[in-house]
Amino acid sequence: MSILYDEGQQAIATETRRVLEARIDKDALLPLLETTGAYHEGFWSMAKEQGWTALALPEDHGGLGLGLVELGLVAHQAGRTLSGAPFLTSGFGAAKAIELFGSDAQKARWLPGLASGETIGAIAFASGANALPARPDIGFDADRLDGRIGGVTAGSIADIAVVYAEGADGPVLVVAELANVGRGIVQGFDNSRCIADLHFEDTPAEALAVAGSARDAALHVLALQAVITAHEQTGGAEALMEVARDYAITRRAFGQVIGAFQSVKHRIAELYGLVELARANCIHAASREGEDDFITAAAAARLSATEAYDTAARDCIQIHGGIGVTWEIGLHLHMRRARSLAIEQGNSLFWEDIVVDGLTGEKA
Amino acid sequence: MSDLEAYRARAAAWLETMVPEFGRDARRGLSEADDLACARRYQNAKYEAGFAGINWPVEFGGQGLGHLEKVTFDSEEMKHGFPSYYFGISLGMPVPILMQFGEDKAFVKERVLKALKGEEIWCQLFSEPAGGSDLAGLRTKAEPDGNGWKLNGQKVWTSWAQYSDFGVIVARTDPNVPKHKGLTYFWVDMKAPGVTVRPIKLAGGDSHVNEVFFDEVKIGDDHRMSPVGGGFAVAMATLMIERYVATDSGGFGPHLDLFVELAKAIEINGRPAIEDGRIRQQIARNYAMRSGLDAITARAMAMMQAGMTPGPEGSLNKLVSVRSRQKLSELAIDLQGSGGFAFDDHAAPKENWTASWINAPTGRIAGGADEMLLNTIAEKILGLPQDHRPDKGVPFNQIPA
Repeated sequence: MSILYDEGQQAIATETRRVLEARIDKDALLPLLETTGAYHEGFWSMAKEQGWTALALPEDHGGLGLGLVELGLVAHQAGRTLSGAPFLTSGFGAAKAIELFGSDAQKARWLPGLASGETIGAIAFASGANALPARPDIGFDADRLDGRIGGVTAGSIADIAVVYAEGADGPVLVVAELANVGRGIVQGFDNSRCIADLHFEDTPAEALAVAGSARDAALHVLALQAVITAHEQTGGAEALMEVARDYAITRRAFGQVIGAFQSVKHRIAELYGLVELARANCIHAASREGEDDFITAAAAARLSATEAYDTAARDCIQIHGGIGVTWEIGLHLHMRRARSLAIEQGNSLFWEDIVVDGLTGEKA
Repeated sequence: MSDLEAYRARAAAWLETMVPEFGRDARRGLSEADDLACARRYQNAKYEAGFAGINWPVEFGGQGLGHLEKVTFDSEEMKHGFPSYYFGISLGMPVPILMQFGEDKAFVKERVLKALKGEEIWCQLFSEPAGGSDLAGLRTKAEPDGNGWKLNGQKVWTSWAQYSDFGVIVARTDPNVPKHKGLTYFWVDMKAPGVTVRPIKLAGGDSHVNEVFFDEVKIGDDHRMSPVGGGFAVAMATLMIERYVATDSGGFGPHLDLFVELAKAIEINGRPAIEDGRIRQQIARNYAMRSGLDAITARAMAMMQAGMTPGPEGSLNKLVSVRSRQKLSELAIDLQGSGGFAFDDHAAPKENWTASWINAPTGRIAGGADEMLLNTIAEKILGLPQDHRPDKGVPFNQIPA
């Protein structure tokens, strides 16, 4: 896979940016912070219309047969404008789990709906600080799920979830419909992520046929999602760097624009460095799908993108001074999103361990 | 295999054959005089094998190949600890500028060939005690003297001046105009009467930089390489010659693998340090940083191969990598606790954490201080304004001291 974008890929980025900038603005996103269980329906219908949901899924199940590079480009633009729903990434993760480990019947049953966006998917793996717990919270026995799992992104809306559950002989990956599952919506700091606790009770579910260890399979799904999220984080960081730059060349103090002060301009130059390192790691990771070093490359992308987005959120607000902390200017939308994306699909501590395990030859 | 990969393979194979005579182990324990002699033989071997002046014109003794071949060779060469650094400045900046701006082609050709073979070394006389980052604020004077000029003043931080045969120099020819406009660019014979070179011992104990004094040094007008008053533009051209050079995401310090090995070997509270979360975090963060820089370089190479111009993000390498190396080197010493006091002042910064640590500040200052690099990113890439400059537009001799 090339690390240079071809014309078709550049066109995806340009067109995505055009439609998102025309149709998403912060005035629609701010109210979503103050309610639970709601998301930006305009964003999601756009994702379906534009085929973003189908982009990286196989053609014989309604997908467009492209991959991480293309979906990453869309996610980068979605990050710039703050997407109003998490389903692009959550649905992609669920679909990849089914594509990689599902039977033909399971693929035929779930993938077309996930590709069209009619079915919303979620990933339910984590238990608090453990992105892949040694002993998952949910039990799986006789094709039934039981137990409670906390903080599932898209959990309040999703139609199906791929669950990392405790089977008779250790962890397994299973897929379940969520129609009759108990959902406790989490009142959070970034409510359009539709985060919910899920309560399974004798819920029918089907095991996915994982050849090796379920942990390796689940980690692979997380890594695929992490590359997409890293693109989204990098997009957010890039947008904030530009907002900070634009403010610094217009706002005046002490008789000059504040961007002429090194304390301000160096802060923005540092953001440029973080954004470019994250972007380079994202492009590299997307090009390594299927290679031995993919997991480590995904982890590096995730770490640098999280650092870039958090730092950009912090510093962009700081450079704005008082106006930066107001509700109306909306920089806090990015600050919130930077944190929610940082803990979805495994926090930085998790990915740091993945990198070191990869370098020391330990099993990742 | 692409042509470039074939070239890489050929270069790597040749370099391998040079290791026994010129590699890291062969050089260990040599005096500097012997090491320089070894370096000259190595440079001559490169010339004979067609690996000197890779991207220089054939008419000057170069190979006439592209920038990519040059970067490819350099990144292979870096792996073996060959003594190439004595010629790094010489062949990196002054000699290419001589090819570009030297008027007497026969003279230029003779100098270039001798430089390529390692027989002659050139230095670059830019920085002065009163100004390093502020190059245009320099004070060394060149005054008309008969048909030529006479130089008076002092340069500093001049790499390898003690071994140099020639140098390129920027001097002030007119103090009555704003600082950038009163400069002229010359070459100078470093063995001429009135030139005094004094090595400066650096913090790490070595002395590759020098003070250079000019006391009534007479040079002909044929030494002039710019229009009178047009020296700043040639100085800038010197600094811009190669935007994408062979880089090292380790900041010219040890490879991250060496840190991992150290962390495996050392125990904290009865367990290997590699299992300690604090150590693991630093390894992972460094890895992410280095892999980002490597990916930037790989993308730049791919773009050049495709005939495109690489983005400006290549300018991040030195800024990001050297300061990270500095911190990681501190941690490596910390990690060894009371075993970390030892210091071998002949150890190589690429192999030894203590040598890396003590020499790291030089890397953050030489070739553009971190602060200047941040200014360049802010101004040239992001379009932020210049700092307030009280000397702007003011004749040099009226700038407040």
